[in-house]
Amino acid sequence: MTTATTRTTPTSYLASVGTALPGDPVDNATLSKVLGINEEWIEVFIGTRTRYFARDLGTGVVRWSLADLCAQAAERALAAPGVDPTEIEFIVLGTATPDTLMPATVNHVADQLGLDQIPTFQLQSGCAGAVQALGVAQSMIASGQYRTGLVIGGDVCSKHLDLQRDVSGAAPGDLVNYVLFGDGAGAAVLTDEPRGQGVALRHVLNRFTGLGRAPGQVIEWFGLADRYDDRQALIEDYKAIEESVPVMAVEILWEMLGELDWEADQLDYLLPPQLSGRMTRRITEELDVPTATDISCVADTGNNGNALPFLQIEKLLERMSGGERALAVAVESSKWIKAGFALEKM
Amino acid sequence: MEPVAIVGIDCRFPGAPDTGAYWDLMMRGADGVGEVPRQRWDAKEFHSEAGEEGHSNTTQGGFIADPDAFDDEFFTISPREAAAMDPQQRLLLQSAWRAVEDAGIAPRNLAGTSTGVFVGIMGNEWAQLHLTDYANVTAQLGSGNGYCMTANRISYHLDLKGPSLAVDTACSSSLVAAHLAVNALLSEECDHALVGGVNVALTPALSIFYTQAGLSAPDGRCKPFSAEADGIGRGEGVGVIVLRRLRDAIADGQRVYAVIRGIAVNQDGRSNGLTAPNRWAQQDVLGAAYRRAGVEPSDVVFTEAHGTGTGLGDMMEVKALGHHHADRAGKPMALGSVKGNLGHTEGAAGIAGLIKVALSLHHRVVPASRFAAKESKQLKLRDHGLRLLKAPLRLPAGPTVAGLSSFGMGGTNAHAVLESAPGHAARPEPVNGAAPGGVGAAVFTLTAPNADALRRNLLAQADAAAARRVPLGPLARSSNRVKAGHRHRFATAATDTGELVARLRESAAAPELLDRLSGRPAGRPRIAFLFTGQGSQYPRMTAGLYEQSPLYRHFLDEADAALLPHTGRSVRDLVLAGDAAVHSTRWTQPALFAVGYALGRTLMALGAHPGMLLGHSVGEFAAAVLARALPLDGAARLVAARGALMQELPPGGGMLSVKASREDVRQWTEQEPLVGLAAVNGPTSTVLSGDLEALERIGAKLAAEGFTTRELQVSHAFHSPLMRPVLDRFAKIAAEVGGGVPEIPVYSTVRGRVLDGEALDASYWVEHIGATVLFGDAATALLAEGPTHLVEIGPRPVLSGMVRRLDQPAAGAGPAHVLPVHGPESAGPALAEALAELYRGGVEPDWDAVYAPEDRVAHPLPPYTFSTEHRYWARNPVRAPGTAALATAPAAHPEPGTAPASVLTLDRPGGPADPVADAVLGAVRLVGGYTDVGPHDRLYEDLGFDSVMIMELKNRLEARLAGIGTLTVQDLLPRLSSVGDLVAFLRELGATVTGSVNFGTEENRALMEEERTA
Repeated sequence: MTTATTRTTPTSYLASVGTALPGDPVDNATLSKVLGINEEWIEVFIGTRTRYFARDLGTGVVRWSLADLCAQAAERALAAPGVDPTEIEFIVLGTATPDTLMPATVNHVADQLGLDQIPTFQLQSGCAGAVQALGVAQSMIASGQYRTGLVIGGDVCSKHLDLQRDVSGAAPGDLVNYVLFGDGAGAAVLTDEPRGQGVALRHVLNRFTGLGRAPGQVIEWFGLADRYDDRQALIEDYKAIEESVPVMAVEILWEMLGELDWEADQLDYLLPPQLSGRMTRRITEELDVPTATDISCVADTGNNGNALPFLQIEKLLERMSGGERALAVAVESSKWIKAGFALEKM
Repeated sequence: MEPVAIVGIDCRFPGAPDTGAYWDLMMRGADGVGEVPRQRWDAKEFHSEAGEEGHSNTTQGGFIADPDAFDDEFFTISPREAAAMDPQQRLLLQSAWRAVEDAGIAPRNLAGTSTGVFVGIMGNEWAQLHLTDYANVTAQLGSGNGYCMTANRISYHLDLKGPSLAVDTACSSSLVAAHLAVNALLSEECDHALVGGVNVALTPALSIFYTQAGLSAPDGRCKPFSAEADGIGRGEGVGVIVLRRLRDAIADGQRVYAVIRGIAVNQDGRSNGLTAPNRWAQQDVLGAAYRRAGVEPSDVVFTEAHGTGTGLGDMMEVKALGHHHADRAGKPMALGSVKGNLGHTEGAAGIAGLIKVALSLHHRVVPASRFAAKESKQLKLRDHGLRLLKAPLRLPAGPTVAGLSSFGMGGTNAHAVLESAPGHAARPEPVNGAAPGGVGAAVFTLTAPNADALRRNLLAQADAAAARRVPLGPLARSSNRVKAGHRHRFATAATDTGELVARLRESAAAPELLDRLSGRPAGRPRIAFLFTGQGSQYPRMTAGLYEQSPLYRHFLDEADAALLPHTGRSVRDLVLAGDAAVHSTRWTQPALFAVGYALGRTLMALGAHPGMLLGHSVGEFAAAVLARALPLDGAARLVAARGALMQELPPGGGMLSVKASREDVRQWTEQEPLVGLAAVNGPTSTVLSGDLEALERIGAKLAAEGFTTRELQVSHAFHSPLMRPVLDRFAKIAAEVGGGVPEIPVYSTVRGRVLDGEALDASYWVEHIGATVLFGDAATALLAEGPTHLVEIGPRPVLSGMVRRLDQPAAGAGPAHVLPVHGPESAGPALAEALAELYRGGVEPDWDAVYAPEDRVAHPLPPYTFSTEHRYWARNPVRAPGTAALATAPAAHPEPGTAPASVLTLDRPGGPADPVADAVLGAVRLVGGYTDVGPHDRLYEDLGFDSVMIMELKNRLEARLAGIGTLTVQDLLPRLSSVGDLVAFLRELGATVTGSVNFGTEENRALMEEERTA
């Protein structure tokens, strides 16, 4: 397949990917037993089979921090053939759930990895954070100032998994928060020339589109002054999300294809937004690229936010062969952010 | 020139007890300089602010911590010899060991090689203090002093046979030593070279000299190229690096810190003065090094300067550098010197700089130069194409070239050009990548000379593994390769780093656990493989292992492929799918064969080579293949046919296990023609087989006699007369397959003994079908040969229990039972733990097979942590002749003469009233300077005796003992294996004790006196 001429920035390359999911998968039966949520309801309305938690479901003890998971994923990416940890010149981490507001989690990750004297960035963002991190890394490499960087995405959503709460009488909109999410992290090494996996990052899209629009999702944080406020920590407008995300996803797909000058039938793989098993299936249908193989993971990993694109890429790389093309679509419904990226294996 | 790689580093500098701390010190811009410790000399006594005659203008300097600590036991050096050794020798010896480990090499593996040792050293103050006291010059004092011995001692203790020399060119000594080492490597005089540098300040002599020469900084700090530079401050240190030709390092997959591209040495010749720096000679040596390296000056990104911080010295150095760099294009060259952090470490200055440059290239950042912020305007660095490193300089990706200068006071100049390691060498490619490997878990190992050392080092490893994320496979593999060679072997299986860290800490804390996870193999292990027979199978047997271990997968696939033409369906798939058909003998037999073959081959690939084989009934086929008596294909065909033919037999047969002897059951089987004695598993454990109705009749009668019986869940009556119908057809196939004499002894369950030149051929396998399985006899014969390990090869342990019931050894523990598969839940960790157990028992595994190819990369581990319990120090220099004490740590060395008696009573061979033993132990103690010596201690291996000490021991024995006449060394030598042996010998001669019973104590006092004045 010939390389299409695009208006995008100079190409950078994915040399390797690593992911980390904490502990053993938690299935719906276990979740329903611990939380008292109907197992069948989870399967039918959410469609997520398993997820992973950094917090022990039995004891509530935190077993892994976000930094632990991110470092674990990064270590795997750095251990891959064709990658040299000493060449890492910067780190960009995307997350919505940092361990602490300060120091930024990315610095603990650097510490665990033994990396020093390099720029580190942390992007505060939800589902689009990983794509934003890829975008920043791509620009840094395109600047010519850096050649190799580490991109990480991860979230520990189980911070809001209140095991003490009795949810038997809770409304579905409230229940969703308990069954949708999971924890995890992913990482990729980006290089200026093809190495390792040698997958070209053809285009990255990041766009705020939420001017004047109420957020579809809010995660609060509490300080000493407002720690006892009776505010909900996690708020989602599921109606708005169900309505808008599929539309946005379709727009992202076509905008990206246009930018890349790719035809839809030239796509070998499609990485759709990973909201939940059920929503992702619905969005994939609406995206309607039957020639492309769907690469999804959320039904098995749960929605672990910024880890998702890396989990998808990891799955993609298992089967992608030379000349094949993939396109990923992500939507962050907090303040309606469109995101996506395109990959082509050399 | 051909590039030379720096592959190992160890060092200690002021404020930095190890390499990691040295790097941190530099990156923090920290100060290693402080007050002269009381232990060295009384700084006030020699201090004069004005620098009067015989005085120094400073009380400060860069001193290392704990220069007196030395792990003499590790090197089997006697305390007395250790006390007589220049601390520079002791520090170098420990550092050399650690540097070799840091290079990813078990130091014992270098023994006997032509490895060279090149040590730069200029301080000889210990000798000046000790060898001038002529009345007290002892034999030990001679070898412990004189810097000529520093390199030789490393060569001696590590058994290195290449060039070994100490170099003294004053302050450039250790970089000149590196120059000689590089040349020795390039001329192939040696394949590994250790380069060391050391400096310990024991007297104020050089401080006084610097002051009198107008070169001493009043604050004791070098301030290189700074406006505040006002002279030299003295510093201490020790550093050792390991060098190899780059191509060799890459071929061996070693981690490369940096590469020496070129190095040159020259002399000022008849310059302005013997000690005056000479810019012309310096610029020449720079040019020579650049030429040898094949680089342009403008390629050099930064240079570690000699930079003593004296006005003239810094000026000359800048001018010499300026000659090459003043007109360079692009950025000025970055310049700094670690002397700002440490002071001038004199003989160790070259190695301090070399390690700094190597670490900078390794970490890709150059530390800031201390005191650089106030740059000297007079030096006009910019005009010379130079800039001072006022902040750390992050190096860009790709190759970086750096320079390093070291200039000697007498005019011997050295310069080296280094480069960052080539990308593929900084991160080695997996070694031996093609061979299949991986057991599904890692085995971490560590060895040490004693349990205390084991604990200390387990904790050091745990701390390092917990400090940051480390990949388990490479970490464990490096522990296997590097931490080998000592008597106490620790081994544990692990599946992730966190689990390993916890296990190491637990082991260090809990003596029972440490005991269980460590071993002291006495001799060569003798391994027996026992293969299980029918009855041990179950659906999904070894499935976990198959999923987790690529190595096991490889061999099970191999067996499956061999069986497939004969079984028509994949036995592997049938087993893994959990098909209950595995209990039909058609599938049971090939399935067990496949598992037995795969597990046996897996263990052999891991380095567990059996010296004896035994297979229970059908287990004998896998044993025959491993013994190379049957080819895999042939055995597969036989087993498949055997299973299929037996499956065709009509139902109605069964087996009955009886708790009775073969004699007890014989009368019953003789009455029933359709029942045979199928197996004799032990003295009171037999199995009958045959027609079900007949078995029922026998069973009732046996029960009436009070014997316990149990019906076995089998499809057919194996090893019974009911098997006769298959014999002809099986014989035809067996004749086609053939079979040879086993190359590994096979203990046959057909014969009940080891096969003696007998072939495992067609007639054997035909007989095998109907013959009684004489497991008890075969196993008894096997046990009589003294195996150290019985490894049970099968999907679950069956035979180990049978053997335990057989084996009632009169004394001793008997063989260890090793179970690579415990049962249905077993997977990689159980196999790894089995290998760990074999290693603890003395087996030398083929470690690479334990790890998947991608894990076969070098991973740096913290080097050996030495004991700091024992301390040795010199008397302090004073102005006037006077007394000085031999200071030793009270905890480690209680007053000789009082403590030993109580210690020795613990294991004195002849009990409390054995004056001959007392006298001998006392003499050994005195000669070695030990406080604690027992009869089991070996004079050479444990106590570090040498010929000089043996002579002294002989004299002391003659003085203490009567009735032994004149001892000759020739008589004594054969009887010196242990102290106890020596006592026995002297008793044989008829030795009695002369003089008072308190002789030992008296003599101890005498020794004390002797050493006080030593």
